[in-house]
Amino acid sequence: MGVGRSARGRGGAASGVLLALAAALLAAGSASEYDYVSFQSDIGSYQSGRFYTKPPQCVDIPVDLRLCHNVGYKKMVLPNLLEHETMAEVKQQASSWVPLLNKNCHMGTQVFLCSLFAPVCLDRPIYPCRWLCEAVRDSCEPVMQFFGFYWPEMLKCDKFPEGDVCIAMTPPNTTEASKPQGTTVCPPCDNELKSEAIIEHLCASEFALRMKIKEVKKENGDKKIVPKKKKPLKLGPIKKKELKRLVLFLKNGADCPCHQLDNLSHNFLIMGRKVKSQYLLTAIHKWDKKNKEFKNFMKRMKNHECPTFQSVFK
Amino acid sequence: MHRNFRKWIFYVFLCFGVLYVKLGALSSVVALGANIICNKIPGLAPRQRAICQSRPDAIIVIGEGAQMGIDECQHQFRFGRWNCSALGEKTVFGQELRVGSREAAFTYAITAAGVAHAVTAACSQGNLSNCGCDREKQGYYNQAEGWKWGGCSADVRYGIDFSRRFVDAREIKKNARRLMNLHNNEAGRKVLEDRMKLECKCHGVSGSCTTKTCWTTLPKFREVGHLLKEKYNAAVQVEVVRASRLRQPTFLRIKQLRSYQKPMETDLVYIEKSPNYCEEDAATGSVGTQGRLCNRTSPGADGCDTMCCGRGYNTHQYTKVWQCNCKFHWCCFVKCNTCSERTEVFTCK
Repeated sequence: MGVGRSARGRGGAASGVLLALAAALLAAGSASEYDYVSFQSDIGSYQSGRFYTKPPQCVDIPVDLRLCHNVGYKKMVLPNLLEHETMAEVKQQASSWVPLLNKNCHMGTQVFLCSLFAPVCLDRPIYPCRWLCEAVRDSCEPVMQFFGFYWPEMLKCDKFPEGDVCIAMTPPNTTEASKPQGTTVCPPCDNELKSEAIIEHLCASEFALRMKIKEVKKENGDKKIVPKKKKPLKLGPIKKKELKRLVLFLKNGADCPCHQLDNLSHNFLIMGRKVKSQYLLTAIHKWDKKNKEFKNFMKRMKNHECPTFQSVFK
Repeated sequence: MHRNFRKWIFYVFLCFGVLYVKLGALSSVVALGANIICNKIPGLAPRQRAICQSRPDAIIVIGEGAQMGIDECQHQFRFGRWNCSALGEKTVFGQELRVGSREAAFTYAITAAGVAHAVTAACSQGNLSNCGCDREKQGYYNQAEGWKWGGCSADVRYGIDFSRRFVDAREIKKNARRLMNLHNNEAGRKVLEDRMKLECKCHGVSGSCTTKTCWTTLPKFREVGHLLKEKYNAAVQVEVVRASRLRQPTFLRIKQLRSYQKPMETDLVYIEKSPNYCEEDAATGSVGTQGRLCNRTSPGADGCDTMCCGRGYNTHQYTKVWQCNCKFHWCCFVKCNTCSERTEVFTCK
């Protein structure tokens, strides 16, 4: 939301706004009786939600909007097409999608997500093509399910246009270059060892622990991970009582390879989230103080503040 | 009529703009300026002028709300003989309809609702002092349904109270028309209040609804217009009842019934039958349908036979031009072709 009382200064700013309104009204008033609207006027403007929300403005895509800052254009409309009204809200909501982007489940993932999170500045809203949404959903939802997520309501493909005026990077009739069918690594284990990526994962996860692993078993199609020693870095939904008896699950991961678990003698950085009564692992890294990137992450972790939704409403 | 009101809006904005630029922050001089402006606005009742002087920031919002009501009225009646225009005395709320008809009922209801809607919206946007979001709804958790109050819930009660104080203040004469107007004003505000809606955002991780925040929000004003149009179609004719020998009318009762049944609070009520609106008539305030657009092939209200009251119609030809075959190109622009077509429109003689 972020709608609050603005400290409107008297003088130039107020009169500017008022005169602009007056000019707009004058222009509207001078329209002739036979002034028939063109296509540009036919489409409703950006006010898809509350009619009295803030007027749309074109703003730079900030460098720390990691999901979209290299998407291929530099400016975006705010509020966006998901009705996020402030940049803080956009960043908070977009941050949980960055890890999915890093999974490379579909080549159009970023274009699709950014067409909604950071829509391109044009005189009317342009939504992603329905076929792009369906392609991304069909390729990426299986990966999301490893983390206990399903395709969210706000990205349902039915609401996107099938017609010509829609966003897609590639033409619809191009055949997708299929990925090589190698062994599929467990998505939570398939992570880039880069400090920035680890930070993003930390923000997208509900809890984070430093721990040693006692054993790994298969159970109901999952990998069950039994910790030995645990030190919480971020507790999230874990209560201190539960911490003692904590057991983690690698969802649907009974038979996929996870090279980090090949050698259990190390300490691990484990990140995860709670789904119903299970604690799911969302990312695992060897706790390697000698690794340059990991050392960098540890340093950055102390100062880094994840975007929170509460800050959006202040 | 319509254009004159827009000129008035422009005049007020221009005055306020000049006021801010030239007079700055001197509060006593600003108050004096507001006083001058309030005296120049046509058709304000004394109590309305007093509110204008004490709350100059609200007068612009009130003007916008009244205009929104008039615009919606013109939209809802765009295919009828009466299209929300009227001859007669000019006021902030458009020309007053002389006949206490169901059209007058609609006009009063939509205008009162428009002012309430605009004031509530201005509060939510922080554009009005002394009001803001509905504080009662901040931070409380809805246990049963699993979501939390947050954001800016629209404070519709403030908007309605303000509309009541300002719009009802123009009813001075103690007569049947006053009771009718007050009832219809309140009906418009009640319809708005009943249509407030709950809006929610799922802001959990990856857009999930594990965390959800809700707030109340105003309906689109078109929705209010539709509802009041339905109530216009079902409007109730009433008459006044005098409860004592004093000749002041005290309440309204439904005319067709033998009992003293009162209309419901969201009914639109009228005391006189409507004119046919075919011809210009200063006595009733009817503008007539001469020059109105009509649909030659329609059997309905917008058809030329009905709209023109049998007087016939004129034909005008023109070329219609529009953008077509639009495509988005990466990255990032939209390219369109231009299509055109020779067509004709019809206006009443």
